[in-house]
Amino acid sequence: MKPAPFQYVVPESLEEVMDILGQHGAEAKVLAGGQSLMPLLNMRLARPAVLVDINRLPGLDQIAVEDTAVEIPCLVRQRAAERSPIVAEELPLLREALRHVAHPQIRNRGTICGSIAHADPAAELALVLVALEGEVVAVGRGGERRIPANAFFRGIFTTALEADEVIRSVRIPRRRFSGQAFREFSPRAGDFALVAVAVALDVDPQGRVQTARVAVAAGSDVPARLTEVEARLQGAQAGAEAVKAAAAQAREAVQAGSDAHASEAYRRHLTEVLTEEALLAAMATTGGNVA
Amino acid sequence: MAQAPRFTGQRIRRVEDPRFLTGRGRYLADLEPLGTLAVAFLRSPHAHARIRRLDVTPALQVSGVAAVVTGADLTEANIYCAGLGGQPYPPLAVDEVLYVGHPLVAVVARSRAQAEDAIDAVVVEYEPLPAVVDPVEALAEGAPRVFSQAESNLCFHLEHTPEGLDALFAEAACVVRGTFRHQRQTAVPMETRGILAQYEPVSSRLQVYASSQWGHGLRDGLAKALGLPQSKVQVTLPDVGGGFGAKYGVYPEDVVVAWLALKLGRPVKWVSDRLEAMVSDFHARDSIHIAEGAFAKDGTFLAIRDHMISPAGAYLLDGSAAVLETVIASLVLPGPYKVQAVGFRIDGALTNTTPLGTYRGVWGPAATWVQESLMERAASELGLDRVQMRLHNMVRKEEFPYASCTGVVYDPGSYQESLQTAMEAIDYPGFLKRQREARAQGRYLGLGIAAFVEPTSLGAWQPEPPTVPYESAVVRMEPGGEVVVQVSVNSHGQGHETTIAQLVADALSVDIGKVTVRFGDTAAAPYGGGTFGSRSITVGGGAALEAAGRLRDKILAIGAHLLEAAPEDVELRDGTVAVKGVPARSLSLAEIGRVAHWVPAKMPSGMEMGLEASSRYVPPPITFSNGCHAAEVEVDPKTGRVRIQRYVVVEDCGVMVNPTIVEGQIIGGVAQGVGAAFLEELGYGEDGQPWATTLMDYHLPSVTDVPRVECLHLETPSAVPGGMKGMGESAMVASPAALVLAVEDALSPLGVRFERMPLTPERVWQAMTATRS
Repeated sequence: MKPAPFQYVVPESLEEVMDILGQHGAEAKVLAGGQSLMPLLNMRLARPAVLVDINRLPGLDQIAVEDTAVEIPCLVRQRAAERSPIVAEELPLLREALRHVAHPQIRNRGTICGSIAHADPAAELALVLVALEGEVVAVGRGGERRIPANAFFRGIFTTALEADEVIRSVRIPRRRFSGQAFREFSPRAGDFALVAVAVALDVDPQGRVQTARVAVAAGSDVPARLTEVEARLQGAQAGAEAVKAAAAQAREAVQAGSDAHASEAYRRHLTEVLTEEALLAAMATTGGNVA
Repeated sequence: MAQAPRFTGQRIRRVEDPRFLTGRGRYLADLEPLGTLAVAFLRSPHAHARIRRLDVTPALQVSGVAAVVTGADLTEANIYCAGLGGQPYPPLAVDEVLYVGHPLVAVVARSRAQAEDAIDAVVVEYEPLPAVVDPVEALAEGAPRVFSQAESNLCFHLEHTPEGLDALFAEAACVVRGTFRHQRQTAVPMETRGILAQYEPVSSRLQVYASSQWGHGLRDGLAKALGLPQSKVQVTLPDVGGGFGAKYGVYPEDVVVAWLALKLGRPVKWVSDRLEAMVSDFHARDSIHIAEGAFAKDGTFLAIRDHMISPAGAYLLDGSAAVLETVIASLVLPGPYKVQAVGFRIDGALTNTTPLGTYRGVWGPAATWVQESLMERAASELGLDRVQMRLHNMVRKEEFPYASCTGVVYDPGSYQESLQTAMEAIDYPGFLKRQREARAQGRYLGLGIAAFVEPTSLGAWQPEPPTVPYESAVVRMEPGGEVVVQVSVNSHGQGHETTIAQLVADALSVDIGKVTVRFGDTAAAPYGGGTFGSRSITVGGGAALEAAGRLRDKILAIGAHLLEAAPEDVELRDGTVAVKGVPARSLSLAEIGRVAHWVPAKMPSGMEMGLEASSRYVPPPITFSNGCHAAEVEVDPKTGRVRIQRYVVVEDCGVMVNPTIVEGQIIGGVAQGVGAAFLEELGYGEDGQPWATTLMDYHLPSVTDVPRVECLHLETPSAVPGGMKGMGESAMVASPAALVLAVEDALSPLGVRFERMPLTPERVWQAMTATRS
């Protein structure tokens, strides 16, 4: 478990990173927290010619609140986000999900953007980004572009990022929901989820669901919103009945995968169980009016 | 003993812990003599394939490479490993690879990274061949053969049908049956295997350091494989970070590394990484039991039949689970119960999988599961209380020594008492009430009971025992009065430096701080069988006690002579020899040490100088510890997840030298039992590809999965000096059965029975769904 030989570079500015990536393209890999990349290197499953260590880039480790979005730059550690008052205030769903990401030791090093770039289909952070309609800010020699989450994840470990681009930050809209919840089921605490569900809701004073977001990662290639389930919830009276129906529909609608860890049937079943739990929890945080 | 024990039985803090807890342990990977070369192995990615072409020349071009060797190089040099019964097999694959992970090329380079670069450069063309994984399929007519020239894959067969067995089944009021498949596992010690070998030209000796449970065995095995006299091989064990059976024996990598050191004249080192550990450490367990039990109307357990089938892997090794797990199971299948006859048939099959070896509790987890399941199923069928039925069948106190129908003799234990104690601790009547109430609310609570015996401390358990039937100790008092104990058992986590010091300190009436325990160097330690089969404190400790007793007699004789008293009138007390009742007439041990080492004229006439005594202690053939586990669980009907609510262990391991260490063994064994029951599985696809090659896929229990374990102790002394019994494996033996049966009990309204472990949430959910529909 020793990596194949590679050239190691430590750029000190984003411009330098872009130059290196422009020069080496797919032969280069960006190292941030290293929590996914280092095992891949050590198992020789990834063999980049150049390893671009971005950990010394200045000014990219602070979460910022803008008018319409919260910006999380590429050197913000998961643990820092988990403890950030801004995240607690603005993005409670992200905060809840972060507690399910691996273990504290790993979150101390791993970055939010690194997890997004790695695009593991079972990753909690990708799911939250999809649920909250965040976007990825990619920079390359061709300039900067913003890629919506639902267009960013293309497949297992595959994203819309070009070979010469690096994620500068992710942006998540400042959009208060009246309730949200994150639920997952994993073999052990800290493992990748067999199924994870993120929901966010607005419930009006009469107890009707105004908007609903339901996103699920269930072993398929990418985390996805269940738009049929969301549509069904919209306008429904918040409560056990609507939740039950929505969860049953989620079971049918979800793209569930099958592998050594869980069958498709079990993942569908867990999707129903977790969707029900998450919706009920999200409704419970809306401040009552749940029938 | 001159005075009541000061240390034995006490919760003495482990003397080795300050070193380990402050990061000062010294393990194999820490050793790096000047000029050490690193080894990496090329391992087969195929379960079965012919090696069409093997070209190592590109590897020789890689920077830093010192040598590249293949299976052919080793067989040309006549270097082989020994399998069961000494059957030779090549350490590196020749012509065909037989399992994923099978090593076929070794590279030696300046660094491990360079060695791995060179491994990448080796050109191999494989022609895939049909692979066979499942033992039943492997034994079927027309199955692909692991060795094409062999007639079949059958590698081990044993059967026995005692007289009267069929009649007992025919006349039984109740016959219960089940299939019990214990999954494949591996021990996963935290420190992986490793070996460092160095040829010393001046003494023409091969110095070997290894992470092993048995230095003498490794020395003997390497000497045989390399054709060297045993005196020319020295094995030294540094701190060893866990073994659990996976480090007992001689592996192909050991032979290759030792041979490379001789060939190259440089220190050569290999440290297994976790990826290769998962496919090259012994795999373990993996047996199918198709069992039935015959019972009388009153619940009397009459007889057992068991057909055991096990996939041995590509080679049948000396410690193969396909042989040891099953043969020992055939001897102790009745557990703590009286049974009139046990009939069995054992079939071992060669398969295209990693060879099976030993893992803590060899025989036990599967056999205890079978034994307790038959009991549960019969109780349910006969409408009897499962606790009363167990008590009814257990060997009673007055029946010891009890000769089992299988031929083994149980020494005294506390079978009924341990079950009763466990049921009191878990509040059995209260549990039944809680269970009823929970069921009314749609909740599933269950209680699992596993009463066990553990055969430990093997002596001459067969006329020609396959394992070393004794252990040794040399106890020496230095001129200054300090005591050094050399023992043949090695610690890889057990705490020998503490427990054996406790025994010897009491035997010699000195402070424990005066006693140093050493082991692990074949040049210094006396011969023995090493650490396996729960023997260290009984056989190793027994030898230490015997030797210390002999030394005490000598000290007393010298003291009596110097004090001009009769030997029976003096006693050892707090580091002095004193005339009984006259404490003023005493001599310090330092004074006795001075005389014994320096002053022949003051010694009793004819007595040898020095203060040293030794023992080679052969214990009774088998010493049985016993006890009972009780697990209370709740099953989440939505997800199939099992939560362990309470876990009680009653353990009778005779006299406890150190209850904290005993409890550490129990808690660790329960943790591994949780892994077996719920989490760990080394599965293979039909193509022979392993599913779990990292710890992301092989789910070891973590701190959040292991319950708080309530330990209770009973003490039925054994015949061993000191009255101890082995207990290193019992918790691993009993806990999977207790946990699986707890889940079955929880789901008894649905009539769920499990045929295979682990009980993952999905399997539990599937079982619940299947019975509901």
